[in-house]
Amino acid sequence: MSVSSSRKISQILGAELDKLVTLPLIWLTLIGTFILNLALAAAFTSVGLQGAAGTQSILNIGLASMGYTQAGFIILGILATCSEYTGGQIRTTLTTIPWRGFQLSAKHLALAIITIPVAFIITASGVLYTFIMMRDTAVVIEIDTMIETLVGATGYLTLTTLLSAAIGALLRRTTPALVVLLGYYFIVSPLARVYLPSIKNYLNYFPDTAGYYMYTPPSSDEINVLSPMQGTGISMLWTIIFITVAIVFYRKRDA
Amino acid sequence: MRAFNAELSKLFSLPGIWLAFLIGAFAPAVITALDSIAQKEEIIAGVSTRLSEVGYIGLGLGVQGVIILGVLAVSSEYLTESSESGGGQQITTSLTVVSSRLHFLLAKVGAVTVISILLCIVAIMTTVLATHLILGEYAPAFEWSRLIGAVCYWTFTALLALGITLLTKNGIIPLAVLIINSSVVSFSVLLYRVTKLAFYLPDRAGAEMFMFTSGTFTGSLFDRYHTPFTGGLVMFAWVVVIFIVAAIVFHRRDVAS
Amino acid sequence: MLTINNLVKHRGTGEILSGISFKARPGRVTGFLGPNGAGKSSTLRILLGLDRATSGSALINGKPFAELHNPLATVGAALDGFGAHRMRTGRAHLRWIARAAGLSRSRVEEVLEIVGLTNAAGKRVGSYSLGMGRRLGMAAALLGDPKILILDEPVNGLDPEGIRFIRTFLRERAESGNTVLLSSHLMGELAETVDDVVIIKQGKIVADGTLEEVIGNHSTLEEAYFALTSEYAGDAV
Repeated sequence: MSVSSSRKISQILGAELDKLVTLPLIWLTLIGTFILNLALAAAFTSVGLQGAAGTQSILNIGLASMGYTQAGFIILGILATCSEYTGGQIRTTLTTIPWRGFQLSAKHLALAIITIPVAFIITASGVLYTFIMMRDTAVVIEIDTMIETLVGATGYLTLTTLLSAAIGALLRRTTPALVVLLGYYFIVSPLARVYLPSIKNYLNYFPDTAGYYMYTPPSSDEINVLSPMQGTGISMLWTIIFITVAIVFYRKRDA
Repeated sequence: MRAFNAELSKLFSLPGIWLAFLIGAFAPAVITALDSIAQKEEIIAGVSTRLSEVGYIGLGLGVQGVIILGVLAVSSEYLTESSESGGGQQITTSLTVVSSRLHFLLAKVGAVTVISILLCIVAIMTTVLATHLILGEYAPAFEWSRLIGAVCYWTFTALLALGITLLTKNGIIPLAVLIINSSVVSFSVLLYRVTKLAFYLPDRAGAEMFMFTSGTFTGSLFDRYHTPFTGGLVMFAWVVVIFIVAAIVFHRRDVAS
Repeated sequence: MLTINNLVKHRGTGEILSGISFKARPGRVTGFLGPNGAGKSSTLRILLGLDRATSGSALINGKPFAELHNPLATVGAALDGFGAHRMRTGRAHLRWIARAAGLSRSRVEEVLEIVGLTNAAGKRVGSYSLGMGRRLGMAAALLGDPKILILDEPVNGLDPEGIRFIRTFLRERAESGNTVLLSSHLMGELAETVDDVVIIKQGKIVADGTLEEVIGNHSTLEEAYFALTSEYAGDAV
């Protein structure tokens, strides 16, 4: 790789970052997710406060809202890729940056750069709120565990965002992408866990369930089948597979 | 009537609508089939506590189809996602064809209502069929009153989706909120633990039209709180309120904005 | 130099382009004509690497579009539609393009000035009129100051002032040695702008030559166009 091509990569990345940052819907989604997460953390905390004192885990309660918060990140991912198909922007993109594999990879990278800090702030704010409200009643937790869990949660949300972006790039339309992803994360996956106990072990290897282990602190009453590292690996593999498939299709088809 | 027909043909020509039909017609049957298989032994042994809920859970969760229908009916007027199209919004055309905004809205509501009712009837048929195929003679009998409740639930949900989308002009928020809220991890489940007012949320109240009759889940969210009739009334009130707000906003705003 | 060589495009079972060939030369404005759905846009989209040809080639200075080192500085393209997300401002749209090509922000202001969009640059693209959208597309095409311009219906939706601007602007570009390829339906307008004419009908080239050659014995370009396109249809039946 020459100097000029590494400069080109940073230019493309800069352009993709510009595109994301200047889209008002992205900001609305992030702010909305932040507020929603705090509201849910407050709800979970108030439920937790009704429970017996000294038995609650701040992390468990602070991250209980993750199940809902991930919806915001799914929307973020879909918006990032499907917004190309509004107003014919995709033609401008591809006449400016005709290297399609590069372009879509740069988009995912730009998305990750935005998602990681935001996901960390959002998860940390939820946990912090719970911590402030439950200081006196909850079990004391070590700062190491807290940071590990927050990093895991950030990683999970980032991978979910990238996976959603890949699905969005494959389907190109917001509504079907949203239906497929929300349908899987909120309907199909929870139902499969209830109705198909026979394949429960395999379900652990799906992106959402594997990702769950990334931020679930090991607890005594529950046997964690996957370690956080295994969960991370499997989620990452899913994300990479979907991004690769999206790039293959993106390169082959007419824009 | 002409406006109504126009709305029907607009809806049927949307590609996304087939996704809505597919999900609406078959998702309840699939969920019911899975539920029936999971409980088959208990039901045959006569010890199942959930026999009376078989099928209705599917109908409760399968409401996704009409959510998509209600959202698409409005969002398609505003958004065009294509690599070719310029800045065209169908709403401009729609409102020059049907000049009265109230008529336009009523026609849309009519079209969505009719399709939702038909879709729910199809869903009920596939669901009943699924229980008979799997449970045979043990299949529960379906009561008319509860099935009518399910039809009302579907229709009201579709209209809620339509009304909210009319306010947001963008399908993403209503789609996300309503899909999550009709799932097993509904916001209402959480809110119920915080305040009893959650029983008056549209999805929770509406579901009482056909679910939670057994009373076997004592002490849980699944307790009966309203009668089917008041449940339906609460949900209908939500639909009416959202429509009045949406109609006022829609009437006052510039088309292009 | 743009070289289209024996280009074939199938979509589904239909044949959009059945082996078309023509050239657009430097220093000349080449007009690309044809009825709706004749294959003009498909040709331009393949030339710009947006769609893939079933067979044949469309080359820019001897290379496919995707192999250009600096596409924005080589080819400026404005296709039908705005080519911009509705929720972004016009300035933000041009800025990300400039960023991708490593151009400065002051260049964005320059092209906004050239197309007369400076006052509307802070508004959302969704609020633009058709003509303003076309101007934004032109601005994006000019951003890299390219030697080659490919424009699909550039005057569509423009006011008389804008049409005159495009006409003189394109003439100037060609006279300073640049290549311009534009498609249009407006015969009168085209006759005043172009040097060479290519007419396409149902995916086949029916005329290719200088303006004088194509007009031939007909009184105007419009007459020639109708004669050629209807004559061809007669043959096909």
